[in-house]
Amino acid sequence: MGRTAAEWSAPPKFPATHYVDSRLYTDEAIFNEEKEKLFRPSWIIACHESELPEAFDYRLFTHPAGVPLIVVRGDDAKVRAFYNICPHRGNTILYDPSGNAKRMTCIFHQWSFDTRGNCVDITREEQGYQNRFSKKDAGLREVKCEVAYGGFVWVSLLDDCVPLREFIGGALDILEPYMQEPMELFHFHKAHVRTNFKLWHDTNSEFYHDYMHYFNRITGMLQPGYFERKYTPFPNGHATVGSMQIQYDKYEGSKERAVGWPKMARGGWYMVDLFPGMTYNLRTSVMRIDTSIPLGPNEVLIEFRGLGLKRDTAEERAQRVFDHNTIWGPFGRNLHEDLLGVTGQGRAMRKGTDSRWVLQGREENSTIHDEVGMRHYYAEWSKRMGRPAYDPY
Amino acid sequence: MIKSEQRQAIEELVYRSCLALDSRDFKAFLDLCDEAFRYTITTHSAEIKRDMVWLDHDKKGMETLFTNLPKHNSDHSPLTRHATVYTVDLAGSEAYVVSALQVFRTQLDGGATELFAVGRFHDTVKLDGSTAKLVKRVVRLETRQLGYGYHVPF
Repeated sequence: MGRTAAEWSAPPKFPATHYVDSRLYTDEAIFNEEKEKLFRPSWIIACHESELPEAFDYRLFTHPAGVPLIVVRGDDAKVRAFYNICPHRGNTILYDPSGNAKRMTCIFHQWSFDTRGNCVDITREEQGYQNRFSKKDAGLREVKCEVAYGGFVWVSLLDDCVPLREFIGGALDILEPYMQEPMELFHFHKAHVRTNFKLWHDTNSEFYHDYMHYFNRITGMLQPGYFERKYTPFPNGHATVGSMQIQYDKYEGSKERAVGWPKMARGGWYMVDLFPGMTYNLRTSVMRIDTSIPLGPNEVLIEFRGLGLKRDTAEERAQRVFDHNTIWGPFGRNLHEDLLGVTGQGRAMRKGTDSRWVLQGREENSTIHDEVGMRHYYAEWSKRMGRPAYDPY
Repeated sequence: MIKSEQRQAIEELVYRSCLALDSRDFKAFLDLCDEAFRYTITTHSAEIKRDMVWLDHDKKGMETLFTNLPKHNSDHSPLTRHATVYTVDLAGSEAYVVSALQVFRTQLDGGATELFAVGRFHDTVKLDGSTAKLVKRVVRLETRQLGYGYHVPF
């Protein structure tokens, strides 16, 4: 039986921790606040060290808080990160998304910077500034940068940010045994999707939607161990999902992922969801990393990375690429389904649709169809935003 | 020197392959392919400075892919593949064919059409008299942002 407007708008009959107000996904003011309160103070994955193999290699990254960054490996092999903003007249310094630059020179007036952030040339410096201003006053804005947890390059915009290890709070310990060998990136693509960034993170944080994935039903849900997979919450809004043995050969055209992953049991699959919008996803032969860059309340750019081992033979790498593409590439079975799913949410929840609530009420002893992962995320969200997700106004 | 009927057969093969996939007539598409057929989607990432493979199947793999797709949840918006054969280079009984490719997507609700992707077909075609079969197709994409993606290959 359908519900009246009053019934539709009434809070769900769950504890307030078990649902959120849909306006969290559409409100411009909340979105702007999220960039400042969630993303700016957080450590964010900018890229992987294998994207910067040589001295002077750089990579551009737009921080989810909106700041354009240059991540660059210096002459001393250290990876640093700077604003991609010229301190002179605010121009973009580097335009290409990656490259190798001993000197980073702004095309506008040819101010030049080295990979340690020093300004090394101001054209006609003495004539223009006499002794009032010099290169030492014109260094780039450097942001905190660390290479850690599998060789990923983490950045934080705050000078007084908490240490990365404290931010992670042990959430990546579950993957430590599997990140001892150097990894190498083989896949990168971006997806621009009309949905809220939290909805993508929610999808990575709940497995009940495996009903949407034929591949996951046949290789996982119908196999032993699936319903024993457990969520574990960690400080700062992070959560992990325990493993099982995925039966890849149950999907026609797929086979057991024989190439494997060092120390990992056959068919293993671990996930770590990191607040406020990153996911480590290790499925036997491939590590996938998602990084969300919110563009608006109903618009997100998601960066997808696929990694194998640096020591892979050509045959091993080809198999990892094949495994990745079967479900995770832009033509992969699961990624398309997941992105369709959140696009549908974005459509149904856009401003004015009268979507009211999102339920997170499933309780199954923290096992795979429990919605504790999302609840844990929104508890942290509420704390940081200073407003409860179930009643944000 | 390529004969005009050979060139015509090759062009028709490329165009028929587009029509078959546009109409999701996967059997018709596979009928255009040699038993040794291999299909690959590749692109170069300017971000990571690497060539990437996004799909790679032999004929059996393509057949399996097509068989599996109805079991999945997919975007049902139709695609329109527009190819133009640019060059045909003959080497014995095979031809190397480069075609420009544009792929348009039309929304089911309202029928708005948008450009979805651009790239090129790099086809290897086996010629037997006036019959042409696809031996190899490499779809080299320029477009790397495909939104929520798509299940049916280009």
